[in-house]
Amino acid sequence: MTTQQKITDSPIDFAEDIIHDVKNSREEGVLKCVQCGMCTSTCPAARHSDYNPREIIERVLDGDLTIIEEDNIWNCFYCYTCHSVCPVGNSVCEVNQILKQLAINNEIAWDKIYEYLGFADSYFNAAIGAIPEIFFTQIDEDVPGWWEFRQNLADIRDELNLDPPLLPDDDVIDEVSLILTITGFKEKIEKIRDSQEDIK
Amino acid sequence: MKSVPDKNILLFRSCLVSVEYPGVEASTKFVFDKLGVDYAISEKQTCCTGLGYYSDVFNQLDTSAIGARNFSVAKDLNRPNLVMMCATCYAINKKSVKLLNKNDELREEINTLFDENGLSHLKYEKDDLKPTENIFHVVDILYSKRDKIKENIKYDLSDYKIATHHGCHYCKVHYEDTIGGVRDPNIIDDIVEACGCKSIGWYDHKRATCGTGFRQRYSNPELSFNATADKMNAVYDEDVDILVHLCPNCHIQFDRYQHLISKREGKEYKAIHLNVAQFVALAMGGDFDKVIGVKAHTVPIDSIIKELKEVDK
Repeated sequence: MTTQQKITDSPIDFAEDIIHDVKNSREEGVLKCVQCGMCTSTCPAARHSDYNPREIIERVLDGDLTIIEEDNIWNCFYCYTCHSVCPVGNSVCEVNQILKQLAINNEIAWDKIYEYLGFADSYFNAAIGAIPEIFFTQIDEDVPGWWEFRQNLADIRDELNLDPPLLPDDDVIDEVSLILTITGFKEKIEKIRDSQEDIK
Repeated sequence: MKSVPDKNILLFRSCLVSVEYPGVEASTKFVFDKLGVDYAISEKQTCCTGLGYYSDVFNQLDTSAIGARNFSVAKDLNRPNLVMMCATCYAINKKSVKLLNKNDELREEINTLFDENGLSHLKYEKDDLKPTENIFHVVDILYSKRDKIKENIKYDLSDYKIATHHGCHYCKVHYEDTIGGVRDPNIIDDIVEACGCKSIGWYDHKRATCGTGFRQRYSNPELSFNATADKMNAVYDEDVDILVHLCPNCHIQFDRYQHLISKREGKEYKAIHLNVAQFVALAMGGDFDKVIGVKAHTVPIDSIIKELKEVDK
């Protein structure tokens, strides 16, 4: 059963928060949504799962904050297809990213972030973005010869005469680590890590 | 067409290119050298954070602060034109430049953090870089030089059936800057043509994602591979020999996982996978091992390209 919405319910507050988020590049695009469904009809996640970008905007415009608890929002490919075809200039892809940051800020779905902390570690400790080691076993099962290739990488790079080397100098790494400390990144990551390791 | 630079370029190193397909970097350098493009690579430049950003681990403040640092590296070298080998780096850096110019609050927050922590040398001033005038992908440079590419072709690849895949984060994110269209993207097709070949043009799912979907490939493999299968089946139906793309994420998804998806779908996929810089380098005479870097590929390049014939001069 749906309850009738009153004008004083201000469901638009949720959309306004999204509009003011730093990630939103579409000004008031979310308010212009006409629910045409172009996003859903071109979306690879909608094609292959229950993910529905049109419905996400409908719920945002209804002021339905529970959307950030939905497992489904994590199915977005970030392919920006919806963003590139929307006739009114909205971007569900960006709205989705904002919803996920809201979820994380509200301590929701930290288990989903935990798997990817390898990116945070490789960046913080070496200033590079490396595929988290947690996935290596799966990659090696799926991709014949991948592990062997990785063992030979230095030789392959030598043959291609590539420099500078893969790893940045210590002064560069120190600068990057400092930046990621002062933005609050390190603290957030450690909090997420601790919470998940406590559960285990 | 927008103006595309050929000098004062910082060729922006990509994490995935470096460790998965280093031949993309060697091929880009090979082609740029032949075309007389003025570029440098800096050991001070670090990763764009894209993989972490699109896994929702990095927020915008983290990513744009790292961006500001990389932009300051480019300015110090007097190389304000950032040219990316990876579509993710391209979209990430373009977004950060846009934000640092337009969002005074974000720029001031980052600059204040820099000031308070002994990093004032990294501060970003409004309009230090311009998103359209300074942020490019290698494919833009190749496109702007296609007449010169035509003059430098050594091998005739026109007997192969070639299709293109354009990479969502080049085409769809900042589409106002995309050369060659977003609904029917064709910038790679035009470059393939400059190499003396004709691509198949439009095909079903041409503009669709490769299926990587960042976290989808690892956390949601069924969803990821189903999306990739859409693309691979379309390429199979067209009997394509070579799929040419522009992003290492797509490259991994197609080249590393073709074998697995072929089994899932019960179809004998045959296409080999080349980045557009590798394709152009090959046509210009780049060596398989010293330039193209074929040893990094999972689908063997010589399963399709068994011999090379020189063009009639």
